Amino acid sequence: MPCKDIAKELIILIGFAVISAFTVNYFSPNGIALFGQWDTSKGVITAKPKNDPVTGGFEIKDANTAKEIYDTRKAVFVDARSYEAFIDGHIKDAISIPTGQFIEFIDHFKTKYPSTTPVITYCSGRECNDSHELAQYLIGEGYTNVKIFIDGYQEWEKKDYPVEQ
Amino acid sequence: MNNNLKILFHGNRIELFIRWLFGITFIYASYHKIVEPAHFAKIIYGYYLFPEFIINLTAIILPYLELLSGISLILGIYPRSAMLILESMLFAFIVALSINLIRGYNFDCGCFSFGERGYGYSAAHLLVRDVIYIILGLQSLFFNKHRKWCILQSGSILKNM
Repeated sequence: MPCKDIAKELIILIGFAVISAFTVNYFSPNGIALFGQWDTSKGVITAKPKNDPVTGGFEIKDANTAKEIYDTRKAVFVDARSYEAFIDGHIKDAISIPTGQFIEFIDHFKTKYPSTTPVITYCSGRECNDSHELAQYLIGEGYTNVKIFIDGYQEWEKKDYPVEQ
Repeated sequence: MNNNLKILFHGNRIELFIRWLFGITFIYASYHKIVEPAHFAKIIYGYYLFPEFIINLTAIILPYLELLSGISLILGIYPRSAMLILESMLFAFIVALSINLIRGYNFDCGCFSFGERGYGYSAAHLLVRDVIYIILGLQSLFFNKHRKWCILQSGSILKNM
């Protein structure tokens, strides 16, 4: 078996692939960091792309705080998951704006809720960042008070807080 | 070995077909991973098999291994080593897929587009597809004659040209 020759060929092919990969990743607007954040105990997981929607500043990091805000009825909860998931179950009185269908849903939302309305977005939990994307979109539409409940629907349901189907 | 099998194992047209099939398949498979590395990294995370520090590095490097191996196979540049890389990746994927099937995890394959669910019929389908690819790839890997339309002839995995 010509191990030496195969090793040489592999080094050339793999070396070229690795150099191309890091070069393109460095210059690409969609490039990601060399190391991501994959520990859910530290927050929402993310590969840390250059246009990372996951930002810590607006996050509500536990369900109890979210429930306290919910009880005041001063904020509207917005579900970023798919409409099917929303139908299966959601935080009581939440509004559905699936991140992937933002354009279809936003006009109706804007007619009901002015841009000063406190909004809390959520998705399924710390393994999804749809709520962060949705928060960015809403801020882009002029909403000035947007927060993200990062533990999402799973934790809310687990705590037996009000849900509806 | 009867003549039909000999043609199957030693035919350089079949070798060319398999090489191009792999080339086109893996170039296509690499495209969405290169365009959306963050999404691909999340899919790797979704296998729940890899340590955290390796997820992003895999998401950055693996698509280019697919792309360059695919191009090498089509152009015939070190075809045996390019095929060895792709066969190893297919084998690793089959292992990962099998582990998650046994564990009963629901995950996104991420093979050709994001959203291929890896459970039920789909998982079996993915396994069968990859086993067929591995078997086909062996023909090219062990092919030890002159390869058609090949820029750099290198021989088979067992001996040089």
